[in-house]
Amino acid sequence: MDRRHLLASGAALGATSTLVLPTRLLAATGPLKVGVILPRSGVQAGIGQDCQRGVDIAGPILKAMGMPDLQILSGDTESKVETARSTAEKLIGEGAQLLIGAFDSGQTTAIAQVAEQKGVPLVINIAAAPQITEQGYKFVFRNFPTAGTILANAFEQQNAIFKQVGDAPKSVVFMHVNDTFGTAMAGGIGALMPKFNVPYKVIETIPYDPRARDLSVEISKAKASGAEALLCVSRLNDAILLTREMIKQRWTPKAVMSMGPGWYEDQYLKTLGKYSDGPLTFSPWYDPKKKLSQTLVAAMAKSFPGVNLNTNHVFTFEALLVAADAYKRAGSGDPKALAEAIRTTNIADNSSMGPGIMFNAKGQNDKVVDGSVQNVGGKQVVVQPEASATAKPIWPMPAYDKR
Amino acid sequence: MIARVIESASPRALALLAVVTAALLIAPYLVDSYVLSVLIIVLYFAYVGQAWNLMLGFAGQLSLGHALFVSLGAYTSAALFIKFGVPPVIGIFAAIAMAVVAGCLIGYLGFRFSIRGVYFALLTIAFAEFTGIIVDHISWLGASSGLFLPVKNQQSNDLLNLRGSPTMFYYVILALTGFAFALCSWLLNSKLGLYWQAIREDQEAAEASGVPLFRYKMIAVAISSGLTGIGGVWYAFYYNNLFPETMFKTSQSVEIILGSVVGGVGTLFGPILGAFVLTPLGEILTAATDGMHLDGVKSFFWGFCVAAIVLFRPQGLWPWIYDVLGLAPKKEGKR
Repeated sequence: MDRRHLLASGAALGATSTLVLPTRLLAATGPLKVGVILPRSGVQAGIGQDCQRGVDIAGPILKAMGMPDLQILSGDTESKVETARSTAEKLIGEGAQLLIGAFDSGQTTAIAQVAEQKGVPLVINIAAAPQITEQGYKFVFRNFPTAGTILANAFEQQNAIFKQVGDAPKSVVFMHVNDTFGTAMAGGIGALMPKFNVPYKVIETIPYDPRARDLSVEISKAKASGAEALLCVSRLNDAILLTREMIKQRWTPKAVMSMGPGWYEDQYLKTLGKYSDGPLTFSPWYDPKKKLSQTLVAAMAKSFPGVNLNTNHVFTFEALLVAADAYKRAGSGDPKALAEAIRTTNIADNSSMGPGIMFNAKGQNDKVVDGSVQNVGGKQVVVQPEASATAKPIWPMPAYDKR
Repeated sequence: MIARVIESASPRALALLAVVTAALLIAPYLVDSYVLSVLIIVLYFAYVGQAWNLMLGFAGQLSLGHALFVSLGAYTSAALFIKFGVPPVIGIFAAIAMAVVAGCLIGYLGFRFSIRGVYFALLTIAFAEFTGIIVDHISWLGASSGLFLPVKNQQSNDLLNLRGSPTMFYYVILALTGFAFALCSWLLNSKLGLYWQAIREDQEAAEASGVPLFRYKMIAVAISSGLTGIGGVWYAFYYNNLFPETMFKTSQSVEIILGSVVGGVGTLFGPILGAFVLTPLGEILTAATDGMHLDGVKSFFWGFCVAAIVLFRPQGLWPWIYDVLGLAPKKEGKR
């Protein structure tokens, strides 16, 4: 072998080494240790366990996407701020190189402080309090819309639906649960509505107890108001109660427009059968036209038959996707390198609505948007934004007594 | 007051106290950050448990609404800091005042109209719940969206503004726990403490003996609520976010009292021991049940353990340990 040949071989070997270096580095350091912190017991147990399903289906999907392996270290906040904080400390102590969590804004804030102090990235799956990404944190990232964005998107999409169907209610009755969530949403709706020139007027507001066992009086009042549509912020049980009462009192408004949980949930669909069809929900959702969403739907159907893919699964999965993508690009499990990589995230092949996953200087994905979901045939069907819609909205809602 | 505690304790008890105090003082240098965060929670519950114990354990007045005083202290100091830049070292006085006013209002209604026992407990729950609902609607306090303190990842500790590392917060809550212990010890052995114990044991007999019930019960409520309010200040600046949905809830009050119940109501060491048993027990069970992949199984075992303690040691763990370790002085003193 002459000198020129040796140099050429060396250069080729060097180039090859450079190409394979990240993979070799990852192999050398093993799977990325990801601490997933969720409220899997306590008052938020149902939601935390639902988020966990997004983790459970993630492994094979990420592998098929060419992502490196993740080793999941699970932590349970027990729905408490104190436990959330100590769990974050524990998982970091056990070697977690990145944290994911935690559905609840208070618990997430407590975890964020630990993440920031330790210099370990936190990728928030779900938590809507805007303040979390307004603290100047360097290691906190959120791929979920803030509360203000969720409401603003909801009004924009309502207007888009009215335009699309060529009709709009002139009046609505606003019914909302009088707990913390319902009161906050009612306040936000009242403050934001004037900015979006919605065509309807709220002619009556009816707050009610989410634990009520009988909402007949409330529905009587709503019906008597003469409102054309029902705008509501509910939970699951009261959404079922309200629907049953509307059926009983033979009142089908032109539309039920929900700006919270309840009306699209699996339990609502299963309990009410054909009477569950019709309500529109404005919520962070997945884009059914995206390839990854279809993969997730199939994976959910296989792993959890009877459970439809929802916000909790999608955004928890995407948090893992952000982690795996950052690990792949960083070529290192060093938390600081991971944080740097997350900052430059640009995942177009994602599942949630919007152009993809990318973070602004504050660590917030400000491109993620809501979807408008209508219950049709026992399934949640996206009807807005138009680019993501798989069907046109059914308008007005079919009368309950003619189904 | 320290001299009195020393005088009334046996050499063995003093040695144990010295060892525990020394261990707590050097703990941050020996343990990792996870254990430190658990110790911080332990000391927080030991502190607020001591404050609650003063009301039931010493004066016989059952409160199931102490979350109210924590929350008022937390919200007052946090709001003053966020809105007006008032450091917590000054805001703490307003926090104490708010908690004491609320405590006195509840006490006045309860004691003036002879609301006793479980009915008084219900009154405390009611005040906590409806104050939570009010705060839920005050947008100046963040309403239901929560009140967030600004957080900086600063390397140095700023004690005046309670901004700093977990180690700083550890020493602050350790100092508060020590202060509450010393104060309660002094109060328990004072004339005031004797009046409280007389009220606790037999209210009618105490009244017949000339003890002014209303005045001394009000003093107990005021001191207990004020101390708890201080705990709220610490809580606000350590966790940096406050939500009415969680702060004012009865579950928070139950967490505050559970350590004292398990440790021994009416004893000085009970709340501390209870906190040192319950929180680590939860962590141990979490670790032990990690591999089961059954959500909530830890809470099940935790509840089982607490039930067993209450069943087999109905007076709490401290009186039992006190006897087992032979901590009683030759001339019996206060536990």
